Amino acid sequence: MWLSLNTISKMVDISDITPEELALKITMSTAEIEEIEYVNEHLKTIYTAKAETVKPHPDADKLTLVDTDKNGEKVRIVCGASNHKAGDIVALATVGTKFSEEFIIKKSKIRGEESFGMLCSDKELGFAESSDGIKIFPEGTPIGVPLSEIYPEWIDIRLEIDNKSITHRPDLWGHVGFAREIGAILGKDVTYPVNHDLTKEFGNSDELKITIEDAKKSPRYSGLVIKNIKVEESPDWLKAAVTSFGMRPINNIVDITNYVMAEIGEPMHAFDRNKLDGNEIVVRMAKADEKLTTLDDTEIDLTTDDIVIADKKNPIALAGVMGGGNSEIDENTTEIILEAATFDAVTIRKTAHKFDIRTDAAARFEKSLSPELTVDAIVRCYELIKKVLPNAEAISQIADLFPSPAKDITIEITTDLIRKNLGEDIPDERILSILTALDYKIDNKNGKLTIEVPHYRATKDVSIPVDIVEEVGRVYGYDNIKPVPPLTPCETPELNPFRIFENSIKKFISNNEQMIEVSGYSFTGESLLNRLKVNEDKELRLKNPLSIEHDRLRRAIMPNIIENITLNQKYNESFRIYEMGRTYVKEERRSPDLVEENFRLTGAVYLKKAETPVFYDAKNIISSLMNFLRVKKFKLVPGGDTLPPYAHPGRSMTIEIDKKVAGYIFELHPETKAEFSINGEAAILDIDLNLLFDTKRKDKKFEELQKFPEVPFEISVLTEKQTYAKDITSIIEKAEQNLIRNIEILSIYEGEQIPEDKKSVSIKIVFGAKNKTLNHDEIESLQNKVIKKLEGKGFNLR
Amino acid sequence: MLNKLEKIKSDTIVKIKDISEKTELEDLRVKVLGRKGELTTILRSLGTLAPEERGKVGKQSNVIKSEIEAALESRNSELSEGEIDDKLKNEWIDVTLDLPSNQAVERGRLHPITQIQNEIEEIFSSMGFQILDGPEAESEYYNFEALNIPKHHPARDMQDTFWTEDGNLLRTHTSAIQVRGMEKMEAPFRVVGPGRVFRYEATDASHENTFYQVEGMMVGKDISVSNLIYVMKELLREVFKRDVEVRLRPGYFPFVEPGFELDINCLICGGKGCKVCKQTGWVELLPCGLVHPNVLKAGGIDPDEWSGFAFGLGLNRLVMMRYAINDIRHFQSGDIRFLRQF
Repeated sequence: MWLSLNTISKMVDISDITPEELALKITMSTAEIEEIEYVNEHLKTIYTAKAETVKPHPDADKLTLVDTDKNGEKVRIVCGASNHKAGDIVALATVGTKFSEEFIIKKSKIRGEESFGMLCSDKELGFAESSDGIKIFPEGTPIGVPLSEIYPEWIDIRLEIDNKSITHRPDLWGHVGFAREIGAILGKDVTYPVNHDLTKEFGNSDELKITIEDAKKSPRYSGLVIKNIKVEESPDWLKAAVTSFGMRPINNIVDITNYVMAEIGEPMHAFDRNKLDGNEIVVRMAKADEKLTTLDDTEIDLTTDDIVIADKKNPIALAGVMGGGNSEIDENTTEIILEAATFDAVTIRKTAHKFDIRTDAAARFEKSLSPELTVDAIVRCYELIKKVLPNAEAISQIADLFPSPAKDITIEITTDLIRKNLGEDIPDERILSILTALDYKIDNKNGKLTIEVPHYRATKDVSIPVDIVEEVGRVYGYDNIKPVPPLTPCETPELNPFRIFENSIKKFISNNEQMIEVSGYSFTGESLLNRLKVNEDKELRLKNPLSIEHDRLRRAIMPNIIENITLNQKYNESFRIYEMGRTYVKEERRSPDLVEENFRLTGAVYLKKAETPVFYDAKNIISSLMNFLRVKKFKLVPGGDTLPPYAHPGRSMTIEIDKKVAGYIFELHPETKAEFSINGEAAILDIDLNLLFDTKRKDKKFEELQKFPEVPFEISVLTEKQTYAKDITSIIEKAEQNLIRNIEILSIYEGEQIPEDKKSVSIKIVFGAKNKTLNHDEIESLQNKVIKKLEGKGFNLR
Repeated sequence: MLNKLEKIKSDTIVKIKDISEKTELEDLRVKVLGRKGELTTILRSLGTLAPEERGKVGKQSNVIKSEIEAALESRNSELSEGEIDDKLKNEWIDVTLDLPSNQAVERGRLHPITQIQNEIEEIFSSMGFQILDGPEAESEYYNFEALNIPKHHPARDMQDTFWTEDGNLLRTHTSAIQVRGMEKMEAPFRVVGPGRVFRYEATDASHENTFYQVEGMMVGKDISVSNLIYVMKELLREVFKRDVEVRLRPGYFPFVEPGFELDINCLICGGKGCKVCKQTGWVELLPCGLVHPNVLKAGGIDPDEWSGFAFGLGLNRLVMMRYAINDIRHFQSGDIRFLRQF
């Protein structure tokens, strides 16, 4: 919302404070000021000047050379317009005039001729949206005068209020509210711009009948009939004012109702009296099949949840939101009904949302306006109409139906409580003077206050004792409150084991496994899932996605990580990345009403060229993580039924923890690599952190160091090419668990001397006993045992 | 002429079936359908035929042409599948082996948000705060209603919300942790809840739909605004490793009363005024306030006996201030050129 200091200064004296100081004070005590704008500042360096000679430009047909006289000072201008002649009085923008940040008048040379300014049109001056040619003033206009003196009403300073910061303050949606705040902050009197004496002028020849069908939805409705209306362009002062408020001038009547809304905060409307059917206004809920064409020319289908203003038959306005086209004032209007009313805030908000008509009126009503403003607004409106149209005449009394008056609010609080909550020793007198300046009526019994809340704060905003604490605190100045350490008991906080677990894994992975932590979006979408061939519509969807690419919640982090590989391979020869975050499992619930959130660690290893298949890099990361966490029951199983389709079937493993699928290690499927333009080698690792957190850990236990000699035994096993070495070593393991200290794959050999479809696996086995030295026979028997076991399973030595 | 065409077709289709290399398939295509191919030559000679004959042969040759094309195409994709299968087979490795990793030279990193979050958790832990967690897909009750923001309250406009199909939402602020925390804790207590939050908002250099906050709350006897200011100043001094000038001004959040915005002196320009602080010299960092009695009640705490303060700290903003980062979208981009810098 824009706050016009011209308008404010009519209510409270701000002549002794700069706009910057004032803005700071408002920010620190009331609401955030986002910007200070000097309105039409450029008029200060634009002068009236006489065009003494007008000559054609020697080098350009459409340009003229104009020598102007700025009260004795000669200024040469190259001008592109054609509607001027010698002797005209024109608007001369001198060098340095700033129309905007980008448009500043400079001395220039145009086709070889020097120009020291610009002659302005109404459009450039900011007075009209379009104009033909430059502005020519009437003969006899004094020359050498800055336009800011000729049009003083167009000069203003305005402050932009952050609307969020006044969401709770319906009273601040009008200048009056800010004038009161400024008065309280600066300790000055405030003049209220409504003169109720004017009602004495109101006639009796007409009577307006009002019916309110639902007093809860429409607590108050006031109206006044005015005749001798002539709808025309507004005078300059009015156009300038509404422009300053951030609105567009329409015509005198609309501009006046808008002016009053901006000034007092009460939205108003004017109906063309003669367009109404009958002599009655009915405030009611719309009927199911009713339609209304609003002022912006859209037809809306009303529902029984919308309040409408109607005549005898039809709706003529969507209450609190926008007027209807059927009762709109126009150039033929002679009689109007002025309306000011109060409606239920939630109903107006829902209606405005539903039809997506967010008007200034709706923005105010949804904040719970005080119902006490309606008559004030009508009287003020009448006064301004008389100012613009002196023949206008109010021919009725104010018809005012107020079936549901607001309740007065009184709050009891002690000055001690105020001091205690703020933690600052503010004397009683200061507290009382702040509250009195803010219009609170106080009954003080030795610091026990009974406070009557002014009507314009009593709709929702101020209702309980802490609200009073805030009033005192903000005007006193929060910055004046001295910091004090809290004296509450402080026990050693209980630890959050999962958070410690998360952090320790992140640190381990980043520091020991050389991985860079990335963070991706929780969203995913169809096209990505299709590219990965996992689009099974199993994700929890968003009702209001920002885009089709992000219209549901991810079930896995792997897709994000794969996209990250594509991105990062452009700039990097090799990298390791991971994300730790949540996935959302639609069919599982963490509580009856909430979707299950699964924490996962997902990472990738990428190499433009790999000596060893990059799969092993990923596997080593998982292995060392398991080792670091001392996980007791886990298994790495080749392949697996639940592997995603983007895993390479010959280069993949499933991680099992406590016999449950807990994650995967795999290289990307060649087709996925092609689809994601990944040139190079990439392996993915993914593990369920919830399972990893819950599973048992191996105890740390001391084991006696090996005292007796260990004996190595090396064998080579001939086997099918696609046999897992692990299958061989686990046979060996079982041969004699107590005396085999270690088994190690030394090498795999394929090639000469080996049949084409076979390979040779060289294995080193270490025998040893804990309590003695193995003798020759024992060793030989162990060796035979191993060989026999292997042969029993069909593995022959080479 | 028609017989000739039929023969070309049957010969070609037999040949296609025998081919096992994609290149041979292409050679065959050129031989039959190419510019000087068998079929093309026949089509060229149509002019020499009688008009009625010409129509017939022309039609038939087009049919045959598309049949041959289809046969070529289907064999081609069979061969591709075979190629992929062969490739997968050839690339089989013994995954049960443990081979040493390829050399990785670069050191790993924590995401800058993680780094700051860890720091802040440590600072708060040392000040006696317990660290809490909450769901990201949260109920309307904990995100709004329990926080004194009923349905249809205009304050909901301040937080554009993603709604999920099961009637819940993505938490718009870590404040959703407040009432969950109170239900769990007994006064007096101190808690913080860091985490990811979401706003239904188009992204640009200063707006993200996904970002990070830390919520904090202290409840005790006679907790006051002066205590709040003290704790915030301590926190910021720890975070920035020096005294930071702060100012407290009114701010409206329905779950606190009184409510504040805490601004810090812009660290980019030192308060002189720059783009980051919109020439004001101040940067909005931290909304805070005394916990609203309705929120205490929602958490089962008697507001006549206890009072408290709460605050929300935007972690992205903090990191951006600290390192002069000019675009909030870097955080979720996954671009390691950014992440490597911290």
